[in-house]
Amino acid sequence: MKHSNPVMCPPLGLRLFGVWHRHMRVYTKNIFSNGLPPFLEPLLFLAGVGLGLGAYITQSMEGLSYLEFLGTGLLVTAAMFTASFECSYGTFIRLEFDKVYDGMLAAPLTVNDLIVGEILWAGTKGLFFSFAVLCILTVFGVIHMPYSLMAPLVGFLTGTMFAVLSLFITSFVRSINQLNFFFTGFISPMFFFSGVVFPTGNLPYYIQPLVEMVPLTHCVRLVRAVCANHYAMIHLWDLFYIVAFILIFGFFALKRLRRRMVN
Amino acid sequence: MANVADKIITVENVSKTFPKVVAVNNLSFEVEAQTCFGCLGPNGAGKSTMMKIIYGKCTRDEKPAGRMSIFGYDPKDHELEIKYLSGVVPQDNNLDDELNVIENLMIYSKFYNMPAGLARERIAYLLDFLELAEKINSRIAELSGGMKRRLVIARALLNNPRLLILDEPTTGLDPQVRHLIWDKLRLLKKEGTTILLTTHYMEEAFQICDTVMIMHNGQRIIEGPPRDLLAQHIEKYVLEVPDAGALQDKFNDRMPDSVRIERAQQGIRLFSNHYDCLKMLAGSMEIENYYLRQTNLEDVFLKATGRGLNETQ
Repeated sequence: MKHSNPVMCPPLGLRLFGVWHRHMRVYTKNIFSNGLPPFLEPLLFLAGVGLGLGAYITQSMEGLSYLEFLGTGLLVTAAMFTASFECSYGTFIRLEFDKVYDGMLAAPLTVNDLIVGEILWAGTKGLFFSFAVLCILTVFGVIHMPYSLMAPLVGFLTGTMFAVLSLFITSFVRSINQLNFFFTGFISPMFFFSGVVFPTGNLPYYIQPLVEMVPLTHCVRLVRAVCANHYAMIHLWDLFYIVAFILIFGFFALKRLRRRMVN
Repeated sequence: MANVADKIITVENVSKTFPKVVAVNNLSFEVEAQTCFGCLGPNGAGKSTMMKIIYGKCTRDEKPAGRMSIFGYDPKDHELEIKYLSGVVPQDNNLDDELNVIENLMIYSKFYNMPAGLARERIAYLLDFLELAEKINSRIAELSGGMKRRLVIARALLNNPRLLILDEPTTGLDPQVRHLIWDKLRLLKKEGTTILLTTHYMEEAFQICDTVMIMHNGQRIIEGPPRDLLAQHIEKYVLEVPDAGALQDKFNDRMPDSVRIERAQQGIRLFSNHYDCLKMLAGSMEIENYYLRQTNLEDVFLKATGRGLNETQ
């Protein structure tokens, strides 16, 4: 069988979908062990921290009960964690150990297709993890419909943002253990100092600029605005920050990873 | 539609420099349609790098740029077209361990934008062709090395490639599987596929290649049909004596001019076109102390690339 028209390569959209589809198939292959934890984790968190610790916290936080305050924060941290793991440890293993990309790059895909498809997949995972948290929060009556239904979209943005950041970091990593620094030194602290567990307003003034600089702060603020359907100018800044972050770090992640995949 | 004399691959004056080593050094070669072109050379000779440059996994040096044409496309600007028309079997079996056999192939069928029904048909045909049909639902971990290799070949054949690029397709496989793969490659060639492969096995090159190029330090040393290489670059026979001591006294006084001597650490090899001459030199030695045989491609290879190891091997 010969190709009468040689130039029949799949267009960009289908190439990206192909990469996304690969990740989706691998993820859903073990649907039970991969799909259940996103629901169990917020449950555990709400029970342990929310109910247990929350019983002692009677003060409202930014006008929300502690359970609601923490719960809405979890909508984006779940997305952050899954996308960060996927695009750091996951990417490094595919790149260096399993050599998955070597095989894929022999198919009609460019490095850009591969990385952008992967970022979109991480965003999708963010959306799904956010949705899982939303389900739990709704079942326990912590947040209210219908506005909260939009929250997974912020989960998508969060996933995408942490995907590009993690890819950028991974592009520097030579040994997989170096990624521990990224999680202990950056992701974990951010969980505590971005207004997820407590409001940042009362932190010392010299920490405030730092809080405003780190990415998660903007996701948390945005998702709470979405859940409350109460927007202000600052949320436009948050959205702008997220989009600009994705574009800038995405650009450099692509540039650096291309050099590692095509040499 | 390709004619037999068409050049599928043209490489002219291509170089590739890595920070510490020149992997490909001003290399030129051509591959005709429906032939099998074999690239031989010691580890580090630049074979794999050359393959990767062809399908865009490596970029060649910008200066001098040289010229490359694969189906008329330059990989620098048209990697997608080249990849779409080619199938690649990389050196490592990079299969998805989490997925089973058919899922591995279905994922790749998406990369070629094949409709699911057509993909299933094609996969069933290819698994049958490579004698993997009963493994269709097996996990990758359950496959033997030979099966994994055949599965990677099946994956490379998904889109009916006109050019099949194989980087050491049979390294580490048992003789049965090697012969099976050779048979399949011959069949594919008959059906019109052009094959480009690298190998360390002289036997493999002799069995399936129409043209062989021996590379060393990124350069072409010799090139030609395997039989011509034998005829032009090496004597017909070799007398191998693993322990040179046994022969020492004999050729001190009278070594015929027609005999070429190659000394190794322990042993010695005497090459000549005259069987009787070598037979005579073997003389009264015990039969287990020497081996008198026809020369093969491995002898040409070792003559061309030297017997010592370099730092990249």
